Amino acid sequence: MEIPFLDTILWPIKWVVELILVAWHYLWTFIGLDPAAGLTWVLSIVGLVLVVRAALIPIFVRQIKSQRKMLEVAPQLKKIQDKYKGKKDQFSREAMSRETMELYRRTGTNPLASCLPLLLQMPIFFSLFSVLNNAQKGLAGVGPLNAELGKQFGDATLFGVAPLHDTFIGAWNAGGPWQVMLIAGLMVVLMTASQFYTQLQIMAKNQSPEAKNSPMFKQQRILLYILPLVFVFSGVAFPLGVMFYWLTSNLWTMGQQFLVIRNMPTPGSEAAKAREARLAKKGKLEPTKGAPAIESIPEPPKTTQRQQPVNKNRAKKQGDKK
Amino acid sequence: MMSVVTAIVLLPRNLAVLILRGYRAVISPLYGDVCRYYPSCSSYTLQAIQQRGVVVGSAMGLYRIARCHPWAKGGIDDVPPVRRQRYRLTPFGFVVASHGKG
Repeated sequence: MEIPFLDTILWPIKWVVELILVAWHYLWTFIGLDPAAGLTWVLSIVGLVLVVRAALIPIFVRQIKSQRKMLEVAPQLKKIQDKYKGKKDQFSREAMSRETMELYRRTGTNPLASCLPLLLQMPIFFSLFSVLNNAQKGLAGVGPLNAELGKQFGDATLFGVAPLHDTFIGAWNAGGPWQVMLIAGLMVVLMTASQFYTQLQIMAKNQSPEAKNSPMFKQQRILLYILPLVFVFSGVAFPLGVMFYWLTSNLWTMGQQFLVIRNMPTPGSEAAKAREARLAKKGKLEPTKGAPAIESIPEPPKTTQRQQPVNKNRAKKQGDKK
Repeated sequence: MMSVVTAIVLLPRNLAVLILRGYRAVISPLYGDVCRYYPSCSSYTLQAIQQRGVVVGSAMGLYRIARCHPWAKGGIDDVPPVRRQRYRLTPFGFVVASHGKG
């Protein structure tokens, strides 16, 4: 990259990215893959994703845990939502967000992840971009990726024709190879499909009734339709190597989400009911530990009216009716 | 004359406002609500820049982003109010002089 300032910030991250890439490359070569093959380098990129995403698991687990705790504050959350029900003006919505956030803070149940996981991945993404960019020129990286490996990475091709550093737009302008365009196109489709599926899974199955009523939910729905556009644009402009990183990362998210929805669904969601049904079938439904059901049984309305004394026989009849 | 000077003084922060508004309209919705605070980090930075200019505002914004991580408690965290409101905001969020023709 041409921006020296950014390069300085990214230097340590680039160094680590290169180290992980080279380590995986070494491993794949060690078990007998061709060191110069495109596939070997793609697998190294996949390895990089595995390491990065595994490192992010603790953050994810924390998020899940606080979502579990949401159950305890569900009634309070409902109260806030009822208070602002039908009020669509900006001030009411702002006040509602304020109260909701304050509730999260008070009870330590903030379900939002902050932008840190994204911020962490962004420099890795840029670093990979820049490593590929340099490798394309046959330049050495900043550390473990020496000149020889850098050249190898830069020259690596898939199917012998599609270089990993090439972009759809580059191939388009140069009039080929068409394989680059095909692979890029395929990846855009796969990325869109996996993202769509992940989002749909979360929205359709893993949302508590409270969350489904929040404005956040509507925003997520819009997201569902904007993301494919983003993928198309980036799929045209990004080198194949970077696209492989993104695609693998998407697939990881999909798998992770699937496991979470299956085994640790949000209480009160469709997925939670499905899980209970599954466990009940196997006959090992553990009793919920003091956790109240989301739809608590409505208390009989308290009346100040005196209860009419009932004759014994009549009381018996009423009892039978139940 | 004063209004020209004010416009020049306010130019950097209005540029920053434009960039942040663009970011909030295009990029923010891409990953939905993730901020653990209210207002969100970008909204906080926008307000800080509107009130105090690009340098102080950006620094406050960066400090806010640094505070917003999965282990933070979150909650309400407004920009500390300035002592004297010298400017006025347009509906879009641009900062303009509060006196004069405008």
